[in-house]
Amino acid sequence: METWVRFSAQSQAKERVFRAAQYACALVGDALRRNGAGSGVLDGLRQLEAHLSLGRKLLRLGNSAEALEAAKRAIHLSDMVLRFCITLGHLNRAMYFACDNVLWAGKAGLVPTVDQEKWSQRSFRYYLFALIVNLSRDAYEIRILMEREAGGKRAKGGENGRLLQADNGLQQLGLRLQVQLRLLLHVLRSNPPLLLDVVKNTCDLFIPLDKLGLYKTSPGFVGLCGLTSSILSILTILHPWLKLKP
Amino acid sequence: MEAFVDFTNRSQGRDQLFRATQYTCMLLSYLLEHKADKEKLVMKLKQLESSMSSGRKMFRLGNTVHALVAARRTTQLPDVVPRFCLTTSNLTRALYFICDAVLWLRSVGLQPDIDKEKWRNWATKCYYSSLLMNLARDWYEISWRLEQAVQKKKTKENSSWDKEDQELNCLKCDSLPSFLLLLFQILKRHPPLLLDMARPTNVITEPGITFKEICEPFRTHR
Repeated sequence: METWVRFSAQSQAKERVFRAAQYACALVGDALRRNGAGSGVLDGLRQLEAHLSLGRKLLRLGNSAEALEAAKRAIHLSDMVLRFCITLGHLNRAMYFACDNVLWAGKAGLVPTVDQEKWSQRSFRYYLFALIVNLSRDAYEIRILMEREAGGKRAKGGENGRLLQADNGLQQLGLRLQVQLRLLLHVLRSNPPLLLDVVKNTCDLFIPLDKLGLYKTSPGFVGLCGLTSSILSILTILHPWLKLKP
Repeated sequence: MEAFVDFTNRSQGRDQLFRATQYTCMLLSYLLEHKADKEKLVMKLKQLESSMSSGRKMFRLGNTVHALVAARRTTQLPDVVPRFCLTTSNLTRALYFICDAVLWLRSVGLQPDIDKEKWRNWATKCYYSSLLMNLARDWYEISWRLEQAVQKKKTKENSSWDKEDQELNCLKCDSLPSFLLLLFQILKRHPPLLLDMARPTNVITEPGITFKEICEPFRTHR
């Protein structure tokens, strides 16, 4: 119980739990709809999902400032690519939160003339950009680690001997791919924070892709992706060493 | 901005901000209610207040555990009176959060057949019990410190005092004004005690606001 108290004392933590609950509602709702559940249950779930979403929007009201602060801190990173990716990611997140605040003002009745559809699309666009930039950063980190590993293996006299033996070009390509894949898996396995970040961002990617109509999937799949990324996010809060730094 | 981020990062910070906004809206809409051309503004204030309230209710889900952990901690206090008061206060606060969660379930539509009035009454009773227990403990602490001050005055003859003791000892406790001055000195020296007293007292004794309006925080929303 002490763990729960410490955990939920962090504002972000509660927001993640509600996010997980919101996407779980979407997933369960879709599953029940496929199995022919009554409209009463589905309406109830949809209402709960809407409430959770609005509550989360309220909780997120200060997050633009937080994202801008994080962007300000990221400008001082030494590595140029990381500096660019992380700063841009935070800036996009700040814009996403700003659009989210406008949506909240509209839903709460403060500014009833807000075009919900337009601002929703805008916010998902910024969210998508932020995720793409985060994934680029992950790809860059993976590449560096793979190069380091490959360099280390080469120093020990690695697997190049096998490549030289293969005479067919396609075979050579296949072997090379195999080597790269094994290296990739090794790098990801020995870097849990990086693996977690990649999986989380990939899961999150499907949400704006679906909402913007770029890659339509089912509401259940979106719910599953959202639930998975929320659970992974909660894990990084419970175990801070799992968070990818910087 | 860093201070703002640090502050709002903590769950309490954000909740207090929303609470402040909610009560400001309540106060403003009360003041502007009967003015001629302010109906739209009053409606917007009421809507904002309602969003803050339902958002905060959702935000409070799970605080029962906080209150139970705090109650467990206060059972370890050395003094009997604070131990009893604070533990009771935390337990009634836990009950309040349970009632609050039930009211939230109803407002969200998950359990529409819940008796809203009954649970709201229970929530109010638990909330006020908790406040009264906190006030009791604050008064106990004040009277203990007053007693300490009087004791110090009695044993003043041979000791060399520091400046603070001199201040207290210059005041004689034999009339109401001097008693109030002594009380003021004690509260000035212990700001947490003053703040802790001021908060619940404000809720109970706000002039010109009816009991119904005090209960607005517990109102469920469609």
